[in-house]
Amino acid sequence: MNLTPLLVAEILLFPGLTFFVFMAFILEWLERKTAARVQGRRGPVVAGPFGIVQPVADFFKLSMKEEIVPEESDKFIMRWGPPLYFAAPAAGLVFVPVIALSALIQNQFDLFFMFFILSFTTLMASLLGYASAGRYSTVAVGRLVLQYSSYEIPMLLSMIVPAVLSGKLSLSGIVAAQSGHWFVLFAPVGFAVFIIAALAELEKPPFDIPSASTEIVGGWMTEFSGNTLAYVKLTKNLSYVFLSALSATLFLGGPQGPIFVSGAMAAVVLHTFYFTVKLLFVAFLIFAIRTALARVKIDQATRLFWTILTPLALVQLGVAVILGW
Amino acid sequence: MGRRRVGKAFGEMLRMVWARPVTVKYPFEPAKVAGRFRGKLDIDPAKCTGCGVCKNSCPAGVIEMVKIGTRKVGDREIENRRPVFDLYTCISCGQCVDDCRFGALKLTGDFELAVFDKESLVMKKALKIVE
Amino acid sequence: MSEEQDRELRKTGAGLMEYSPEGIMPFGPVHPSLKEPEYFSLLLEGEKIVDVQARIGYVHRGIERAGQDNTWIKNIYLFERVCGICSFAHSIAYSQAVEALSGFVVPKRGRYIRTIIAELERIHSHLLWLGLVGHWTGFDTLFMWIWKDRERVLDLIEAITGNRVHKSYSTLGGVRRDLPDGIAESMKKEMEFIQKRVDYYSELVRTEQTIVVRTRGVGRLSQDAARRLCPVGPLLRSTGISRDVRVEDPYAAYDEIVPEVKTSNEGDIASLLKLRLDEVADSCRMILEAMAKLPEGGYKIAFPRVVPRGDSVFHVEAPRGELFYFVRSAGSIKPSRVKIRTPTMANILAATEMLKGHTLADVPVVLTGMDPCFGCMDRLSVVEAGSGREWMMNGEQLRTFGIEYYSGKG
Repeated sequence: MNLTPLLVAEILLFPGLTFFVFMAFILEWLERKTAARVQGRRGPVVAGPFGIVQPVADFFKLSMKEEIVPEESDKFIMRWGPPLYFAAPAAGLVFVPVIALSALIQNQFDLFFMFFILSFTTLMASLLGYASAGRYSTVAVGRLVLQYSSYEIPMLLSMIVPAVLSGKLSLSGIVAAQSGHWFVLFAPVGFAVFIIAALAELEKPPFDIPSASTEIVGGWMTEFSGNTLAYVKLTKNLSYVFLSALSATLFLGGPQGPIFVSGAMAAVVLHTFYFTVKLLFVAFLIFAIRTALARVKIDQATRLFWTILTPLALVQLGVAVILGW
Repeated sequence: MGRRRVGKAFGEMLRMVWARPVTVKYPFEPAKVAGRFRGKLDIDPAKCTGCGVCKNSCPAGVIEMVKIGTRKVGDREIENRRPVFDLYTCISCGQCVDDCRFGALKLTGDFELAVFDKESLVMKKALKIVE
Repeated sequence: MSEEQDRELRKTGAGLMEYSPEGIMPFGPVHPSLKEPEYFSLLLEGEKIVDVQARIGYVHRGIERAGQDNTWIKNIYLFERVCGICSFAHSIAYSQAVEALSGFVVPKRGRYIRTIIAELERIHSHLLWLGLVGHWTGFDTLFMWIWKDRERVLDLIEAITGNRVHKSYSTLGGVRRDLPDGIAESMKKEMEFIQKRVDYYSELVRTEQTIVVRTRGVGRLSQDAARRLCPVGPLLRSTGISRDVRVEDPYAAYDEIVPEVKTSNEGDIASLLKLRLDEVADSCRMILEAMAKLPEGGYKIAFPRVVPRGDSVFHVEAPRGELFYFVRSAGSIKPSRVKIRTPTMANILAATEMLKGHTLADVPVVLTGMDPCFGCMDRLSVVEAGSGREWMMNGEQLRTFGIEYYSGKG
């Protein structure tokens, strides 16, 4: 793989980082608006039309606030952890095909890299939580790690299902195998398991256990403030985009769509359109689940993942093996 | 009566999508208050006789009687007083309105009492002598 | 920590101070799930709560003392500010204590109107708690919905009394104003609306799995523990003990509009949810009944400035439980002593007892299962660190204590 200037520009701008950060802000706005709508409120209204600039305004306002680093915290991790934490979903998103059927960067085994990204995000979160040395963060990290160890297995199992169905281990290969028939048709259970595990990964209700504000204040983010907090929150939204994009890619055919046109420019527009629609669909699914449920306790979450979702994912995997064969 | 399951609230959520939001766009649109709302106090200087009953009845100590002149009753000099209201500490209970037998006081529906300058909430309207 | 160690520590009388600070999770005084400042040290073992110690007094405001400097009528507005939610319960408890002292009888219409407002207040207080249960269990949608409906009740209260929170509606000898014209129709409409919503929420909290697993069996208080710790109000009724001041010692018009006392045998948060929802429905019924039976005539009598010498005790059923007022008059224009015992004061011990053995995730919903109002409850007591001896002080002793304490600090 050689880095041409066009590729660098693509990674940094359009289907790459800038596009996804933009999507992260849009998703936050949509989340706040839809949650407000079903709760009988209006949500953000002031900044921009329908308050669409509100997440951006919040981000810049927060990044200009005073930053307090606790005396007893590990200064090194507090300083260099957040950029690494931010880098994880940003790096993962480059492997997701958006404007074409193949991603900007791809190799034969990039599904394994996705596994790595997902666990690295949690690892960074728990490192940051421990490094900040707060009482609430410590409890939150305990919950985070326990929750991770419970949702990881069903999540990875459900991610293997598309790989088995397509016989490929790269995201681009999985997308290419889905022309005409999306894997959600063959693996609806796998898709459901992945969405539920994604809720847990994103710390959204009903699995917002590691950041439950009524119990442990800010969760593992309690001791962060100012600029760092702004980026940590942005990263959480970026993870949101990442997981939505991943489920759109793995189960909904990514940029595949019903109508194809010839011509480079039109294809790019169509592919991006299909991809964005699917991403928003998954995001709306997550909004709907998160607004309709109460938070469960950590033992209940663990029991759910280990005794119900893991067997389901295994069964789905078995079905996929038979189908793929 | 229904069975226990996850996601019972979805039906109501869908209904709420079409319902009108409850939030009022208050600073951009005027907010409505009830007819009996007890807001900012107002005084009619023409009706006030300066008896000072309101001062004695105020639980928050908002009212101060200020001398505005003297009058002669027989061969004695008697001070003319009028109330000054520090609406910053007013709790809008309306006890002074109940106790004023001349009907000089009333509570208006105005509730926007946030000011930059505390002094601007001191109501000295009654000091202007209306003859 | 093993049980033996625990027993040993209890035998020596040492409190939580003896434990290592690492195991103690501070809960408050500033915490997102507590709306008022109060401090609870939770001794944790992993996520499990081993012991709880409550420390109160963060918002002690000296209202009882301030009441001694005000005239009888001014005190109405002071004492209703003890609590922001049950302000009308406070004002009628005080008014009725003073009325009992003077021997005046409030006209029937006035007593009916008091009952109506007290029940409206119960509805809005219970709905507030129910919504907050949604918030504490992370179900913000339920929280917003219930508070959206509660807004209609608050609007009704504003239309009648002129304010949403501090109603300033009761006065010595009756209520200050008559009901506004045409309130009967809107009252009927709103009560029917609330009744419909209560039916929906009862169904929702009973059948939504995620709420059920968070509330059923959580914060269980046994009947024996309840008899030992003497909680009041819904918390007591949820353990199966039927106690309601409105029935046992009727005041206002409760002798004619009889409430139905609801009890439950579970004693957990799920039963508290059901109990409070049932009480809201019952209050709706009582309000409509009172509106139908509302007698004509005066709603207020003239009340003298001076109250004869004597002591008076009055209790009412505030939304949170039995509220207790003691008023002493020396025959002047001011009370010489007013003592308030708010429901939270009686409930807080039971709440800390309920917490033990639960996990940290249960703390917000269990601790607040009694619907706490810490601002109402706070009082001052001095505890000697180490021995755990506590005592109450009068003003002079407190002053000497303060001088000694600060002279030691330089």
